[in-house]
Amino acid sequence: MKAKALVVVFAIVVAAGVCSTASAAEVVIGALNDMTGATSDVGKDYALGIGEAVNYCNDNGGVNGKPIKLVQFDYGYRVPEALTKYKLFKRMGAVAVEGWGTGDTEALAPTVTADKMPYVSASYSGHLADPKKTPYNLFAATDYSSNARATLTAWFDKRWSKHADFGKRKPRFACSYMFASPYASAPIKAIKDQATLLGFDIGPDQDVSLFAVDTKSQVLSLKDFKPDVVWHGNTTMSVSATMRDAYALGLGADHIMNLWGFDENLPRLADKAAEGAMAATVNAFYGENTPLMPTVVEYAKKFNPGVPQEKRLSRTVQGWSNVLALWEAMKRADKAGALNGEGILQKGFETMKDFDLGLGGAKLTYTSTDHRVSGKVPVYEYKNGKFQLVQVTDLQGRWPDKWQSWLGW
Amino acid sequence: MSTTFLPCGEYHQNYHEDHAWWQTRFIKGKMIALMLMLFIGIPYVADEYWLSVCNQIGYTALGALGVQLLIGFCGQVTLGHAAFLAVGAYTSTLLILEFPWPKLLLDLGLAYPLSIFIAAVAAGIWSVIFGLPSAKVKGFYLILTTMAAQFITVDFVITQYISQIGGRGQAFSLPPGTIKIGPWVIDSDLKIYYMMIALVIVLTAAVLNLLRSRVGRAWVAIRDNDISAEVMGINVVQYKLFAFFVAGFIGGVAGAFWISNLAAISPEHFPWFWSLWLVGVILIGGVGSIHGTIFGSIFMVVVMELLQMAVIPLAASYPKLLMDFLFIKEAAFGLAICAFMIFEPNGLAYRWWQTKNYFNLWPFSY
Repeated sequence: MKAKALVVVFAIVVAAGVCSTASAAEVVIGALNDMTGATSDVGKDYALGIGEAVNYCNDNGGVNGKPIKLVQFDYGYRVPEALTKYKLFKRMGAVAVEGWGTGDTEALAPTVTADKMPYVSASYSGHLADPKKTPYNLFAATDYSSNARATLTAWFDKRWSKHADFGKRKPRFACSYMFASPYASAPIKAIKDQATLLGFDIGPDQDVSLFAVDTKSQVLSLKDFKPDVVWHGNTTMSVSATMRDAYALGLGADHIMNLWGFDENLPRLADKAAEGAMAATVNAFYGENTPLMPTVVEYAKKFNPGVPQEKRLSRTVQGWSNVLALWEAMKRADKAGALNGEGILQKGFETMKDFDLGLGGAKLTYTSTDHRVSGKVPVYEYKNGKFQLVQVTDLQGRWPDKWQSWLGW
Repeated sequence: MSTTFLPCGEYHQNYHEDHAWWQTRFIKGKMIALMLMLFIGIPYVADEYWLSVCNQIGYTALGALGVQLLIGFCGQVTLGHAAFLAVGAYTSTLLILEFPWPKLLLDLGLAYPLSIFIAAVAAGIWSVIFGLPSAKVKGFYLILTTMAAQFITVDFVITQYISQIGGRGQAFSLPPGTIKIGPWVIDSDLKIYYMMIALVIVLTAAVLNLLRSRVGRAWVAIRDNDISAEVMGINVVQYKLFAFFVAGFIGGVAGAFWISNLAAISPEHFPWFWSLWLVGVILIGGVGSIHGTIFGSIFMVVVMELLQMAVIPLAASYPKLLMDFLFIKEAAFGLAICAFMIFEPNGLAYRWWQTKNYFNLWPFSY
């Protein structure tokens, strides 16, 4: 009897779920996050940031009075899972999606274009920044390719010029990343192009898994090439493993990396090996002094009190950036009477010019021909126990003739 | 278990009737109703989301069919089947994007269908290579050699070499309009659904037919006792390798089919976990049953989606449930396998067989 009652209750709950759609008074946005998969080391904190930021938006009037309903799923970094979840968002009446990885974002790109669904991802792949190919893919950050170019340039400007061999030989450069990961390999073509532009010798790439905890064989292979600088394309966990091994085996190279490998956990995991690490960042670190940061911290304490403050990362801030950018776009679209995919893109995002989120990132400018938010990329280094600004690399100003041709790769 | 009792009052009078596909009018009626439901009912009723769920069931069933053939009918345990799906997907993609097809074939929309066949053959041959150790080893040792297929194929060959062809972002993104069968561009869930249904029906029928032939009987003999099979004059190695070929062939079709659902492929789409998942599908569906493959696929996809549906209304009160669902799902997968192993080791197919027989023997079932 009890079992039958349970089955009936389950059926009612399932039926309620199957029939659930958006009510007219609320604006549904979907979110795909990775809390358990290959990129969960950075994904968990980002997901928390998304939830907290939506609460902030609702506390401040939602979309011109309409509350935002967030439907947030953990898809475990599995592409097939992401595809069905996206369809579920559509079924629930979502007007936009906060996405995650490069693999699923690129796999969904033609679908979101056909559906005219703004897809604001945590993948900042340069492939997604060309509105001619992927008009509905957006992100509130400088793209991976620009970041990679900017970081290598900053290393060239600040470190190589002080090197003992400066002027005597070409600097040597190599890449370490998971070949199979679309995220990790997204800016490879761009960074190698930049290395050629700056006159580097380019060494063999090293394949390091996103799950790697031991990378000695890759570091030993790198030692044969004797690189001056190594670019890491993975997330913090495996980047720190590689840096630890490089430190232990005396590789002697500097380390630069993609932003998902550069956060507050890096020095915790890599310890001394993290000293001097350099990367482009897309917003301030958690708790840094920016206009909106006290609010970010306040909401983190309020909605996720179980997560200790010292464990929070800059990923929270990245989550906030994407939500706030989408919020602003939705408010603008709604004011223009077009709170739909096309409206959010054209009357929302593409009307933003030098829009400051107050989180220490680049000011956002989207145009109908270019979704790269800025040509100026701030590059930070970890030095003496602190993250410090090295330089703001002005790619657009320094290579104005090439800047446009770099769009989309 | 493979024999279903005929309904009371029905008798076979000759060998032909005994081996007919659809043995009674009632069964014929049921199958016609099933076809109507698959080709008209579901597309009419299902929205885009449920069609995508159906497509995932089809992909799972196609993948699991080869695993079922190897494990359930030939007794060769495999834990690396995702590798053959990957070979199929990559071969088909490369053929579509890189091969200089004659203009006539392109105009007729035959490039993709032909690429599916070539991909299937390539995956079949690749599968035979990893089936070679089955001539010497069995059981746990064979499991390890099939696992090697996953690591060598996906993590090494595809990741290190195949993925580099053409440069990233060029070779393996499939722009809209690339996948075409005849005059139809496969660009919607409905078209993918029809393609999936056609492939599942054709391959299931092919495997069922194969199992009724000399080859199928040889496989079953090898599964039940390979030494006895050899004594009976069956060339055990040859038949085992043929089983690997057919399983790989079907896996290749599954992989080539799946690219129609994607705009870009990467090795990430074929993780080792997927090989394990496919084995879970046949364990739950029923080892040694083609019905079981389909039931297992439906169970693994639909039940997980229904669990998700149950979570959605509850999330209004407990928002974290949505994010924690994957933990629930993984736990449900593990629990389902444990529960089936303990309470129903013959899987869902056995329940289906019991139910059918109950009604067939009614009013004298007991």
